[in-house]
Amino acid sequence: MDMKVKKKLGLKERYSIMTRDLGWDTTFQPMDKVFPYDKFEGIKIHDWDKWEDPFRLTMESYWKYQAEKERKLYAIIDAFNQNNGHLNVTDARYINTIKLFLNGVSPLEYMAHRGFAHVGRQLTGVGARVACQMQSIDEIRHIQTQIHSMSNYNKFYNGFHDFTHMHSRLWYLSVPRSFFDDAITAGPFEYMVAIGFAFEYVLTNLLFVPFISGAAYNGDMGAATFGFSAQSDEARHMTLGLECIKFMLEQDPDNLPIVQGWIDKWTWRGTRVLMLVGTMMDYMLPKRVMSWKEAWEIYFEENGGALFKDLARYGIKVPKCAETATIEKEHITHQTWAALYQYGAATNFHTWIPSPEEMDWLSEKYPNTFDKYYRPRLEYWAEETKKGNRFYTETLPQLCQVCQVPMFFTEPSDPTKICCRESDYKEEKFHFCSDHCKEIFDNEPEKYIQAWLPTHQVFQGNCFPEGADPSAPDFDPLAELLKYYHFNVGRDNMDFEGSEDQKNFAAWRDISVKN
Amino acid sequence: MGVIAATTYDFPSADSLDKFHGNLVAYVGWEDHLLFCAPFAFALPPNTSFKSFCEDMLIKAFKYHPDTQKIDWKSVEWFKSGKPWSPDVNKTLAENGLKHKDALRFRTPGLKGIKESCN
Amino acid sequence: MQIDLRMVSIKPLRNTFDHIAKRLGSDKPASRYMEGTMDLQAVTNFHYRPLWDPKHTIFDAGRTAIGMKDWYALKDPRQFYYGTYTMARAKMQEASEENFNFVEERGLAERLPNAVRDLALQVYVPLRHVEWGANMNNMSICAYGYGTAITQACNYHGMDRLGNAQYLTRLGLVLGDVETIQVAKKDWLEGAMWQELRHFVEDTFVVSDWFELFVATNFVLDGLMYPLVYQHIDRVIDERGGPAVSLMTRFQTAWFDETTRWVDSCIKVAAAESPANKEKVSSWINAYRNRALKSLAPIAKHALGANSTAIMESIELALNARAAKCGI
Repeated sequence: MDMKVKKKLGLKERYSIMTRDLGWDTTFQPMDKVFPYDKFEGIKIHDWDKWEDPFRLTMESYWKYQAEKERKLYAIIDAFNQNNGHLNVTDARYINTIKLFLNGVSPLEYMAHRGFAHVGRQLTGVGARVACQMQSIDEIRHIQTQIHSMSNYNKFYNGFHDFTHMHSRLWYLSVPRSFFDDAITAGPFEYMVAIGFAFEYVLTNLLFVPFISGAAYNGDMGAATFGFSAQSDEARHMTLGLECIKFMLEQDPDNLPIVQGWIDKWTWRGTRVLMLVGTMMDYMLPKRVMSWKEAWEIYFEENGGALFKDLARYGIKVPKCAETATIEKEHITHQTWAALYQYGAATNFHTWIPSPEEMDWLSEKYPNTFDKYYRPRLEYWAEETKKGNRFYTETLPQLCQVCQVPMFFTEPSDPTKICCRESDYKEEKFHFCSDHCKEIFDNEPEKYIQAWLPTHQVFQGNCFPEGADPSAPDFDPLAELLKYYHFNVGRDNMDFEGSEDQKNFAAWRDISVKN
Repeated sequence: MGVIAATTYDFPSADSLDKFHGNLVAYVGWEDHLLFCAPFAFALPPNTSFKSFCEDMLIKAFKYHPDTQKIDWKSVEWFKSGKPWSPDVNKTLAENGLKHKDALRFRTPGLKGIKESCN
Repeated sequence: MQIDLRMVSIKPLRNTFDHIAKRLGSDKPASRYMEGTMDLQAVTNFHYRPLWDPKHTIFDAGRTAIGMKDWYALKDPRQFYYGTYTMARAKMQEASEENFNFVEERGLAERLPNAVRDLALQVYVPLRHVEWGANMNNMSICAYGYGTAITQACNYHGMDRLGNAQYLTRLGLVLGDVETIQVAKKDWLEGAMWQELRHFVEDTFVVSDWFELFVATNFVLDGLMYPLVYQHIDRVIDERGGPAVSLMTRFQTAWFDETTRWVDSCIKVAAAESPANKEKVSSWINAYRNRALKSLAPIAKHALGANSTAIMESIELALNARAAKCGI
């Protein structure tokens, strides 16, 4: 028996043996057949060995540390449930933000889980695949911990009860749904730029900080705990996204224009989705964390600015849309809330007019825009509501073909004029909210002409329950649409004032504090 | 430029005219009346008279606004795809050259919304 | 004396989500597994066809020849959602960690006779690549499969394979050195004993039907390889050199026992659904079993010598018995 002195392995070398060394170049089957999808986009990779592991986590460590987090998290969720934690939130209007989250955002975590499994199989580089697979399993963690945290709210409040059904059907939810469908149907490298980089790195704080801080500020232990627990996962995801960009750019200069195009496209698509988050920050959190304008300035203009300065050495430029998004930061939340408010008969969360104090906060945070453009409509609606004439629109809105948001955005140069752009493709007209959505369409029209646009789908008769007869004389399209949505009408929708949520929360609060 | 896909990628448009049961889709926005957040969408028969389109459908859609009852259709300025357009109220939409998914805008001179704020 | 804790109680509006209540038959409190699994995958109103696979929608039941009225019938009997999965694995990891420490502290690896240690290195370390192949295939199933019930479980299964591969690598580093790992990889790529198996594994990489992949990898290959290596070869090594290898492969052994229950459940449910499914699964099992046996035979011969024929027959019978229990 020989006692060889064993070579001491450095961390990098050890991790390499534990991960990328497991793979091999196949010979019985050609590599191109084993990895059929990672060349067609035109991204040139010469040497996958140059991939730098963004983090090093063996499965042993993964299971150990993640299980520890799960134990802690579920202990808190259990305590939250047992002690009617939901009654500790600032006020019942807050609960509508988590309805938005469960219906709009959580299903995207599921899509990310499947999407990262896909790239975790399709990228030729073993190291990259391992990192993507860890993100895939992290993402199912996220959707499940979210469902489990919010499950308690579903027991006591309305609008949570059929979230995956609604995510695939509701008019405003096609915004996030189409966003992720777009990413997952793209090639693997574009997916990595769209989600790994644009969403999980550039824009991540604009999703995460508002919701989770919003939860913390408003007494929502359930959501805040999930959020804090997810932070270390998100840190890994950020490093993966960044490494992917750097790797592609370092492999071949020909990759630069492709990657830049994707960064431009996905920063824009992501920003459009995030306007729901911004609106939540400005209008739906009883105790506000900061304004969307402030969040944009910190997380995009400052932090994002620093990032793009750093990437400039590869030839990457700040995304084209940055200027528009920066102008829009003072407008989009007000415009979005106005839209959700007037279409409140068809939202699965409540809407309301901000109180005078809240409007003063908005004036202060938006000195250039709120009083001039948006206060007049809100005050008018408040007055009319007092007269019993609460504004509900029943006519469907025109939607942008690409981002699928109703066309309520205004010209960057003139906030009194709706911004409309159009393209003709194969003798059919398509409409867009902005130059950037138009450009996305013009680059890949074959893709975007397929979109399932809610307004058009309603007109085609595809949004009614089976057996509904649109030609019947007493056919009520809104009622049938809400049946298709699986709404509990009068409980999920309409104004917060007078809602079951409002009544119940007040009554239960009373029970828990009065004798 | 065109989409870059792994194989042939050619699918029909989801919203071509043939899918709307004989109707065409048109969008109408009322300039300076952002109380209505976005242009409205309508699906209607091409042989709808332009007069009834305005006086029935549009009035109904925009009825919430205090300016609506003041609309004088004769002085309304119309735009189609951003360019001035002069429809004949006595003709149908089709006869006026309105095509599927055309975007219309109308301006009501003198009416500038709530407290003249373009709302 | 009883402590009677009072809590402020308010009456909930509902016990669970509507889609769960539908499955349960009524609005009852639901398990975390159910709430975290059922109906999460989109099934309709897809916006765009994949650029990488325009023939299918994003999620498409047509990616397999197997048909299910309800894909969520493929529930995991272990009821693993992320929380219970990681906690189960963490427990196993703790035990394995103790085992590796024990082996090191007691110098059990050094006590192995050279011939036995060499045998262990020759058999176990190249298997890390088979595990990696299984990782790839299970990721495929997670990506292209249908319904969260099976795709979730295959995601965990795929990460498990990476874990197994890493345990085998660790075993190699304990019994040998970095060079040993490279020798094993060379064996995998060029050694006569391994080429049939590598061919088998590489052929699975280009299978497009994800349920076929499930049968080939998770039922057939594992169903033969694990008993061969972690029972029979393990016993021989143990008899000749002591428990070092058994201790260091404890994770895989426990893992196989646990996952067999789930794999069999999926096969059983899919086969019971229709004669067509049963026929399909059966034909896959037959084809892959015969091939897998042929691929494993040289390894068995190398490790077990004259006994290999009898042992190969017994593991084949065991797999068939397992299949029979699943209704095939």
